[in-house]
Amino acid sequence: MRQENSKQNTGGKNGIHFSALPRKLHSNNWQEKFHAGELSKAVALRSQLILYFFWEKKWFFIAMLVGAGMLNLPPPEDLSRQGMVVLTMSVVAIILYVTEPVPLPTVALLIVIAQVLLLGLDSSDVAGSLMNDSVLFIMGSLMLAVAVVKQKLDKRIAWLIIRITGTKTSRICFGISVVSGILASFIGEHTVAAMMLPVGITLITLTSDDPKKVRNLAAVVLLSISYGCSVAGIGTPSGGARNAIMIGYWKEFFYDPTNPETFKFIVDYLKWMVFAYPIFLIQLPFVTMTLLFTFRPEYSDLSRAVVKLRAQVEQEGAMKAADWAAIGIFFLTLTGWIFFSGEIGLGTVAIFGAAAFLVAGLVRWEDINSGVNWGVVLLYAAAISLGLQMKETGAARWVAESFLAWLAPFGASDGVGLLAAVSILTTGVTNIMSNGAAVAVLGPIVLKMAVVAEESSVVIGFVTAVSSSFAYLTVIGTPACVIVYASGYLKTTDFLAVGWKMVLISTAIMLLAASIYWPLLGM
Amino acid sequence: MTVGVSAEERQKILEERKKRFRILVCIDGSDECYQSLRYAAKLGRGVDADIILLYVRPVDQGLRSGGLEVRVARENMMNWGLELPGIQYLKKGRDILVELGDMAEDWAETSTHTDVEGDPLGDNKIEYRNEHGTSIVLKLKTATGIATGILEQYELGPYNMIILGASGRWRGLAKSLWDPAVAEKVAIHAPCSVLVARALEVGHGYLICTDGSERAMEMVRKNAYLSSHCGCPISLMSVALDMESKGEAQKYVDEAKNMLDSMDIEVKETIVKVGNPVEEIIEAGIDYSLIIVSDTGKSGLQRFFMGSVAFKVMEKANNSVLITR
Repeated sequence: MRQENSKQNTGGKNGIHFSALPRKLHSNNWQEKFHAGELSKAVALRSQLILYFFWEKKWFFIAMLVGAGMLNLPPPEDLSRQGMVVLTMSVVAIILYVTEPVPLPTVALLIVIAQVLLLGLDSSDVAGSLMNDSVLFIMGSLMLAVAVVKQKLDKRIAWLIIRITGTKTSRICFGISVVSGILASFIGEHTVAAMMLPVGITLITLTSDDPKKVRNLAAVVLLSISYGCSVAGIGTPSGGARNAIMIGYWKEFFYDPTNPETFKFIVDYLKWMVFAYPIFLIQLPFVTMTLLFTFRPEYSDLSRAVVKLRAQVEQEGAMKAADWAAIGIFFLTLTGWIFFSGEIGLGTVAIFGAAAFLVAGLVRWEDINSGVNWGVVLLYAAAISLGLQMKETGAARWVAESFLAWLAPFGASDGVGLLAAVSILTTGVTNIMSNGAAVAVLGPIVLKMAVVAEESSVVIGFVTAVSSSFAYLTVIGTPACVIVYASGYLKTTDFLAVGWKMVLISTAIMLLAASIYWPLLGM
Repeated sequence: MTVGVSAEERQKILEERKKRFRILVCIDGSDECYQSLRYAAKLGRGVDADIILLYVRPVDQGLRSGGLEVRVARENMMNWGLELPGIQYLKKGRDILVELGDMAEDWAETSTHTDVEGDPLGDNKIEYRNEHGTSIVLKLKTATGIATGILEQYELGPYNMIILGASGRWRGLAKSLWDPAVAEKVAIHAPCSVLVARALEVGHGYLICTDGSERAMEMVRKNAYLSSHCGCPISLMSVALDMESKGEAQKYVDEAKNMLDSMDIEVKETIVKVGNPVEEIIEAGIDYSLIIVSDTGKSGLQRFFMGSVAFKVMEKANNSVLITR
């Protein structure tokens, strides 16, 4: 229970009370009735509460009914009983995830319970399947994210950008996108969005105090940050959870240590970068152009704000030893990812980075503990575990075959048509759930589709991982958008206004890469 | 839990508050909300009302931001000395009240802060109070949703009226598919009168609707008293379902008019229509700044499932609607 902490007495004895209205108003003693009415209302309200509880949670019961119904249906011919159970669990989990009648981490807990009770798996096996390198990476990179944001290097980065770009709005926006993007491609979009958000808002508020006068400027500057970060997430395996999840799936699905043919399914850091980094770089100029065309900022020059920002940065003084140490650890982690993640795993390197920040005393554990939402780790763990069971029970293959059969009449069951279908499917799913969850759920299905359609699993996997970052339409689509939206300067419609253009451009660039660039690399 | 205020003291404060006319104005930075604030000020002048300006900020959710809590970004913003979203909207509201002369710079100022779990900022409140005990409060509240926040605020101190705008920000794009709009939700659940403002302009007169019930008559009296204070012309309206009951509807209107006459409140015109009450009221209401309907007394869910004239008018009308309870 929360109550107002009001130390002030509400006094008011001298004021003219509402009860002191002219007598005419009291002809029916309405005030007494008013209070009696309130009391009976309160009683009635209580009896409604139980019903209201069910109403608020209606989607939970609908999901459970759907689940019970599916379990009682006879499974389709080519799907095992176990497969049907896993499929049911996925459908119920997706309904719960999207409609959110219960706190989201609850969905993860329910998946674990269902795995033991419905699938009859051993409890320890289920617990073991919850943790792997991908989950370790998600956990480590979140801790690393808090540590990096806490270093307060943002002012220096901002100053660096502006020294290079000058004071023209369009150039500053491009500079923000490029720098945010390059940083985000290595340490994740949420980290950079959280770091750069104050930079953007400072530039806006220093230009004008009245939010109405800088509405378009605010949209361009802040969306430069969020879209710069979002398009960058595909750049390297450490750019986002979805990439690590996809790398984990490839290894889990196809890798066989005794068969040298399958070694191509081990995608290491550099190989991923060769595939995906150019796509990110090509998208960057389009981000700035689309934003400038859509919003047309009120000010074409920000020199007033830049001068004040400079004064703020000068107050910070010279770089301190701690700043250098933070940069050192950051580059050490980066080196670890690029050169050693193949052998020791992406997750281990991320954990190493977080540990190094803690050992050096650059971040407090309390900050990390309150800055990371551990429920997300739980969600990813359960989603990946469910994804692997989709594969083991044959449910993934069954869904893949059904989906392909459905696509065949559209000529989308192979080649570029299939890639486009997979991309559209992923983009649709990623706009309603988080992009990591989208890859965790769709990964097993699309990889099986590639097997059935005899296409390259690596290419299809890339298409899914890359398309999952195209959640430009809604605020909740990508972490960077959520963080930037929290500033209060943007409307949900701003994301939609520019988002659909970005989706079209990005999809086109990716399909071009998939059909021209990737085959050149021998895929 | 409460710090420094015992349950008894709190009870006392609540009792005191019940004696005053309190208006809760929901601020979201839109033009509509400031229009409704001006209206609230005008309405409040006659009864020396307390005006509470409320901005609800949805609580930050780390699940949507990829696992990194939004508070990390927010703390970073505060380190830069940047203001919270919402504060500037509330301050603008205060400036409007000062400009209108409903508040002076020399009012005593107290600010309070309440911690909210899981949020670095919590609830913040600034209260301005003059020597007569009239207070104007700016409140920045954190809640899981905007509607929930407004309703929670009602629980904290009873209000006589909630005013909110039916404009864009109240409707989250993705959420509106599953959730009713904020205005709708507040109107369903709030136990007090709710004014949904759409381009609220004072001065075009009020349309007070009655169905002849004792409850409705009571509401007519109360509303007419309030409206007479802002000097707006009052029109009375009743809708008969068919021609036969037209006489009855005419009787209701006349009764209401007589009652108001005896209170020295001038009635500009009386209207009696035959047809579907919802459609007739909406059609007649276009020319007025505010349509006033009284709620039938169904509660929460009943209202939701069965619907009522008042509720449908609120939903479909093109201008402002006040549902009185």
